[in-house]
Amino acid sequence: MGQAQSHHPIKGAGLGLKRELLPQIQAAYGTSLTAHLDFVEIAPENWIGAGGKYAKQLAWFTERYPIVCHGLCLSLGGPDPLNEDFLRQVKQFLDQHQIPLYTEHLSYCSDGGYLYDLLPIPFTEEAVHHVARRIRRTQEILERRIAVENASFYVASPIAEMDEASFIRAVLQEADCDLHLDINNIYVNSVNFGFDPHAFLREMPGERIVYAHIAGHDHETEDLIIDTHGQDVIDPVWQLLREAYELFGVFPTLLERDTNIPPLADAMHEVNKIAGLQAAQQGIARQQPADAVSRKRASA
Amino acid sequence: MSGADTDLPLFQQYQLAFTAHIRHPRLHARPEGVPAKRMRVYNEIVFNNLQSAVGACYPVLQRVLGKRAWQALLRRFFAEHQANSPFFRDIPKAFLAFLPQVETLPPYAVSLAHYEWVELAIASADTVTPMLTAEGDLVQGIPIVAPALAVLAYDYPVQKISVRFKPRQALAEPVHLLVFRNQQDEVKFVEMNAMTARLLELLQPGELTGLAALQQLGMEMGHADSTSLITFGAALLEDLRQQDIVWGVAV
Repeated sequence: MGQAQSHHPIKGAGLGLKRELLPQIQAAYGTSLTAHLDFVEIAPENWIGAGGKYAKQLAWFTERYPIVCHGLCLSLGGPDPLNEDFLRQVKQFLDQHQIPLYTEHLSYCSDGGYLYDLLPIPFTEEAVHHVARRIRRTQEILERRIAVENASFYVASPIAEMDEASFIRAVLQEADCDLHLDINNIYVNSVNFGFDPHAFLREMPGERIVYAHIAGHDHETEDLIIDTHGQDVIDPVWQLLREAYELFGVFPTLLERDTNIPPLADAMHEVNKIAGLQAAQQGIARQQPADAVSRKRASA
Repeated sequence: MSGADTDLPLFQQYQLAFTAHIRHPRLHARPEGVPAKRMRVYNEIVFNNLQSAVGACYPVLQRVLGKRAWQALLRRFFAEHQANSPFFRDIPKAFLAFLPQVETLPPYAVSLAHYEWVELAIASADTVTPMLTAEGDLVQGIPIVAPALAVLAYDYPVQKISVRFKPRQALAEPVHLLVFRNQQDEVKFVEMNAMTARLLELLQPGELTGLAALQQLGMEMGHADSTSLITFGAALLEDLRQQDIVWGVAV
């Protein structure tokens, strides 16, 4: 599995494929507007088994762009049995469209039925084992490593036995899976729970990072951010991304925009900014080849 | 869902109490130690997400029921329904399956909801187009109809229902509607008579020649004069081809 990982065709800067943006990307294909769009990301829950115009749109993109699958409903932290039938459909979908990367959230979204939203897992020892076991089973069925994303949330569970960073590290290590680092979620949680996002970033296991997200959000009150992916990315989040590249090296990074969708040119402005930060960091890395920024391989 | 199962690990008891409250805040208190203000964020975003997923599929039903009744209906759906599909397009389908158990709805509501849902179902149906030739004799050959197609009969004039027109009683004869996806992947609705609807049902499996289907239709209708039916039927099949309902003849 480690071998496949090192030949990862997902690189550079990407954009979440929202239906509203689809025709605009198709129209701008091959123009300077999309010159820095290296890959796109889709939710398998929206595209598996969809025929008609949806199947044709998907085919258009798979022929032209590397694709990342970012799942929403696997419920890795959920109390229900893991939906293995669904995972087999995901496997078939990944194989059929030659999608190299599948990521999911460190959250749950079911309680005997699906709630279709990302809910927080209490950070306890038992939860670590539960989630890690389900990630391992997922990797078994998909026959590949997956990456899991640090989630944003609004309620700190009163039964937590550890902090979020410790929980993430423990799960990744026990599951032996990769990290999908969501830069915006670090910032959102740092405001919602009053911690230092820079310190949190440094606690992340850099050698496991294969992919990152960046996004905007809605700042509701002084101590509450709602993670809407509906605004421009704010400067402190850009700064965190820059810092992450400095600490861990460059990894493929995607702009998420899920509500209040702007025209493609505005979204591409932020995708280009990701590409700019990556190029700048790689420029520094080239000038200092012995520097510690070169990425470490995931330990086997 | 009650969260009272003490055999479960503590974190799962907490998770189930958390979602029980989200689903039915009046019936289940939020877990102890959770601040009300933060809990409310989940109460709102989870329900709002579901509301937009369902609402997008049922614009007419939503308007004819009115805002208050619609909200109450969705609340009940959210509290009572156990969705078993991870696919987002199955949310409206689950809502449709839930509706018949609601006693307080107007009599046309389930038919209207089905009519609204079927557009989504036909738009996204994952179909395979059989080998066909677009030209070809529709009487002697086997006509191939649009692969994403449904022949529907409703007891209410669902295609006419609006805030201004809420039918009081069922139709004397059901209305026959054809919904299909054309070769440009657009979903089209066509109102038709019972005979055309039956002909399309006969053709849909792609096994009968046009002639065999028309003969079968004649038999079912008790038509003595099959010659005139076949002359008429040949013209009808051509018309269906013009409308992109029949795509050609099997090869």
